[in-house]
Formats: sequence, C-alpha cells, structure tokens
Amino acid sequence: MINLQLLSSGIIFGLSLGSIFFLMTIGLSLCFGLMRIISLDQLLYYSVGAYITFSAGALLGNIWLGVLCGVIVAGLAALAVERIVFRRIYERDLPFTMITSFGVLIGGVGVIKYFWGLVPRPVSEPIAARIDIIGTDIPVYRLVIVAMAVLVYAGIWLFLNRTIIGKAIRAGTEDVEHVEGLGINVYRLFTITFVIAGGLSGLAGGLYAPLIMVDPNMGLDVLAFVFMVVIIGGLGSIKGTLVSSFLVGQVVSIGSLVYAPLAQMAPFAIMLLILLVRPRGLFGSQLLKR
Amino acid sequence: MSVLRWWWGLLLAFALLAVGRVFLPLPFANEIMIFSLYTMGCNYLLGRVGFISFGQPAYLAVGAYAAAFYLFYVGSNPYVGILVGIAGGMMASLIIGPLFVRLRGDYFALVNLALAVIIFYLMQKVLAPITHGDNGLWFLTNLDSTPVLDLTRPEQFFIFSFLVVFALWAFYKYLDDTIFGACCLATKINEDKLRFLGYSSFTIRLVAFVIANTTTALAGALYAVYLGFVSPEITSPARAADPVVVTILGGVGTLYGPIVGAIVYTGMKDVLSKILGNWELVIGFVLVFIMLAGEKGIWGTLAPWLQKLMLRTAGGATDQAGGGR
Repeated sequence: MINLQLLSSGIIFGLSLGSIFFLMTIGLSLCFGLMRIISLDQLLYYSVGAYITFSAGALLGNIWLGVLCGVIVAGLAALAVERIVFRRIYERDLPFTMITSFGVLIGGVGVIKYFWGLVPRPVSEPIAARIDIIGTDIPVYRLVIVAMAVLVYAGIWLFLNRTIIGKAIRAGTEDVEHVEGLGINVYRLFTITFVIAGGLSGLAGGLYAPLIMVDPNMGLDVLAFVFMVVIIGGLGSIKGTLVSSFLVGQVVSIGSLVYAPLAQMAPFAIMLLILLVRPRGLFGSQLLKR
Repeated sequence: MSVLRWWWGLLLAFALLAVGRVFLPLPFANEIMIFSLYTMGCNYLLGRVGFISFGQPAYLAVGAYAAAFYLFYVGSNPYVGILVGIAGGMMASLIIGPLFVRLRGDYFALVNLALAVIIFYLMQKVLAPITHGDNGLWFLTNLDSTPVLDLTRPEQFFIFSFLVVFALWAFYKYLDDTIFGACCLATKINEDKLRFLGYSSFTIRLVAFVIANTTTALAGALYAVYLGFVSPEITSPARAADPVVVTILGGVGTLYGPIVGAIVYTGMKDVLSKILGNWELVIGFVLVFIMLAGEKGIWGTLAPWLQKLMLRTAGGATDQAGGGR
C-alpha cells in the first residue's frame, strides 16, 4: 500500500503540478471572462515562454532572467496577435474565435519549429536544493512554483479588486456597453487583459520548462489537461480555475501513484462526472455572448 | 445549396471519378476519398447543428480500432470489418452522445478534444496489451480478397470508397430536404423557437451527433482497411484540427465543401510540406487567413460565382431558342 512518505511527496508534486495548471489556464480564463473568446493561443505563449527561458537562460547564464525574458516576449507576442488577429474578431461568436485561435496556435508551433528545430531541449533546474518534509526529499524548486502560483493569484485578485483598471475590467465582464458608456475605452482593456494573460501563460511555460523538456509540441501536449481544468472549474471563473487546477493536479499526482494510467484517465472521468451534475462546471456562470 | 441540380451532381461525380482515376496518383486519390468522408461528419455538425467538434479524431479512432480488432483477432473479410467499424462508431456515439449534446457549444468543443486525447492515451498506454501500443496493429496480410470490388487492391478500393462518398453525399443532401434537416438548422439558429414548436432539441441533436460521428467512424474503418494498419497516431492531438480545418477550407455547411476542402488540403499537404517542410506554419496561416477573410471557404466563394456563370449560359440558351422561333 502507499506509505506516508510517498503520499506526502505525491501531494506536494500534485500541488506544484496544480500550480502550473493554474498558471496555464488563468490566461484562457481571463480572456473568456472579459472578451468572451476562447483563446487557445495561450498555449502558444506558454511554449514561447518556455523556449525563451531556454534560450535566454543559456545566453545570460541565469534561468530566472530567462523566465523574465520569457514572460516579456510572451506578452509581446500576445500583443502582436491581439493587434493583428483578435482586434478583428471580438464581435464574433465563440466557435469562431476558437477556430481562429487554434489556427494561431498551429501556425505558432510552425514558427517555433522554424526557429528552434524539432529536437527537445533540456533546461537546467535553477534551484538544485532539496528540503526534508516529514522524512521525504522535496525539491525546493517545486515549492517555489507553488509560491509563484499563490503570488499570481493574489496579484490578480488585488489587480481586479483594488486598481481602477481592474475594476473597469470586472465591470466589463458584467456589462461591456455600460463600461463603454462611462467613457472607458473597452478595446484598451481587452488589449491589457490579453497581454496579461499571454504573460502569465509565458510564466507557466518558463517555470515548467526546467521540469520537462521544451519541445515544439509542448503546447499541444498539455491541451487536454488545460481543457479539463477549464471545464471542471467553469469557463471564465478565476476562483473555479484555481480550485479545479489544484484538484486536477492532485488527481493526476496521486492517481499515478496508485496506477500509472490513472494519471490521464482519472481527470477525464472526474470531468465527465462533474459535467453530468453541472453542465457548466463547478463555478461556471450563465453568462452568454454579449 | 442548389447551385447544381442533382443530375449535374451525378454527372460531375462520375466525371470526377474518371478524372481522379486517370490523372491523380492512386494513393492520393484514396486519401482524398477517405478525407472527404472524414470531414463530412464534422461539416454536418458545424454547418447544420452549430456544434464545432475538435474531437473528430476520437470517433475516427473508434471506427478504425473497431475494424482493426475484428480484422486482427477475429475475421478476415474487409467488408465485415467496415461494418464492425460503423457499428462501433454508432455505439460509441450513442453512449457518449446523451452527455455531450446537453452542453453549450463552447464546452462541447473543449470536451470533444479532451475525449480525443483520452482515447489516444487509452489506445497508446492503457489498452496496450490489446492494441500493441505505438507499434499499432498490422493486418494487411490477414485481409481476404473478395470477388467483387476487392478492397485489398488500391484501384478497386478507390472505386469502393468513391461509391461510399457519393452515397453519403446523396444521403446528406437528402437529409437537408427532410424535416429533420430543417430541425437541425433550427437548433443552430433559434433553439427556443424550435422548442416552442414542440420538437425536442435534445433528440434532434443526439440523432445528428450519432449520424455525423458514425460517418467519421466509417472513414476510420476505411482507413484501417486501406492501410492495413492502425496506430494511436490517428487520434494524436496535433492532428485534431484537421477535419475542422478542411471543413472551413472547403466552406462550412456546403455539400461540396468537404470534397473540395479535402482535395485542396491533401494537395497542399503533399506539395507544400515537401517544399517548405513546415506544415503547421502553412495550415495555421491559411486557417487564420480564411477566418479573417470571411470564413466562406473555397466552395462558399466559388458557388455564387459558378451559379452566376450557369445562369448566364442557361439564359443565353433560352434567348437563342426564343430568337429562332
């Protein structure tokens, strides 16, 4: 049977995995919440963040600087895509934005292949130290990831609730026309949200890169998990995204301890169960396309 | 939709058959046939019911593996294998359908892709003892040759798959004229009104879902029989968008769209990926371009133009007849 040590390391592994899932999906969730678009291209910024972390980290000799560069470049890429593509399609219905963003994702994967080639690249772990918790060896880096996710959640909460731009964004999720009526440029809010979302996806990629290899299809590999997290939590709900990403993280981690294939199957089963009871996920809203 | 009369369609179809047989390399032609079949289901879901499904590879894999299991473990008649594939696809969509069609469009798309990925894992890892994992199932030598339309020979397979595509094309055309077809469109356009008229949108969606996904499973079974080989690769997430891309390329909701899209897509894939070696880049940009340029697709753009052309020739003919009298 599973002993305590294995279990505690499993839980901490699940926590860090959940944190990564949270950072990956928060961009999608933010975009859906305000703009009512399904922005699958967030996974492109995730890969971009990871690749820039790899390259800049190797160039500058410091992974943390690499992650910072990754976040910035991912944000810039998001800005460019928003200006060129999404600016034109905000008014369209959901499936339309989903297909378009999938096109951006696939095209972006092609661009990544063009620049970095097909070979998976390893990224060295920035913190090699390990810490002893209840007799189990835990890499400190995993705890750092959890702390980062908590910081990001707190930061987003503060941004949305304490700053005037954040309040305008929250108002925008309720009623865009009223916000426009107040003389606020909604499209600028959209741009800001999109760039923040892209940067956070880049952060997820940069932080996750040392734990896996970076390869061109990494965005597509996590697609299923991102979808499950978003569906379980409910589209557009930040709290729901947080809860469901930690739930999925734990299920994957502990499931793989019990029986390896469970890691992939169990979240899917949970998703189906939740959809049976609540077709809009745990915290999903009734909001439709405005 | 009524650009061409039905007999024009028939003529065109057989002209295409001849042209395809003479000018196209056989593997390419077969690929087009299977691909258009694959796309038809997605096209119906997207164009008529308004459901975008990124999970078509899941049903393709169900059909392919059902056929493959039969041909690998049980029998050797390819026709029976195809029937088993169809039955498998129908059963799978009947089981999954009631849960999925209740969902809102955006959730439907996400859940379907998740399903495709799960089936990929299922075939690659969980059921590896039966499916032989990444090595796949090889059964090309198991296949029996049949007296009429021997499916083990590519040129006869082409004729068979052509007949299947044509039959399904006619079936979908017929469906458009029935009350059921109108109801499907109504679920897309105005669901409340449909319910008000006393129809159950759940049943209509479920039936449409089953029809579309059985078509996709049939395409999967044809793939299995044609290649004599099935591996989890056919449901890999990187290829999940293929049917959606082809649908949009051809023109959403048009009857000829899937066929035109399949021809262009397969052609582009063969030619461009050889030149550029970077297929994702091309298809991504083409997809975004089509979406931004008005999402009508190739057939959607061509059809009004063709219609005008045909009207003009027809009008010219009557003018001449009138003048003669």
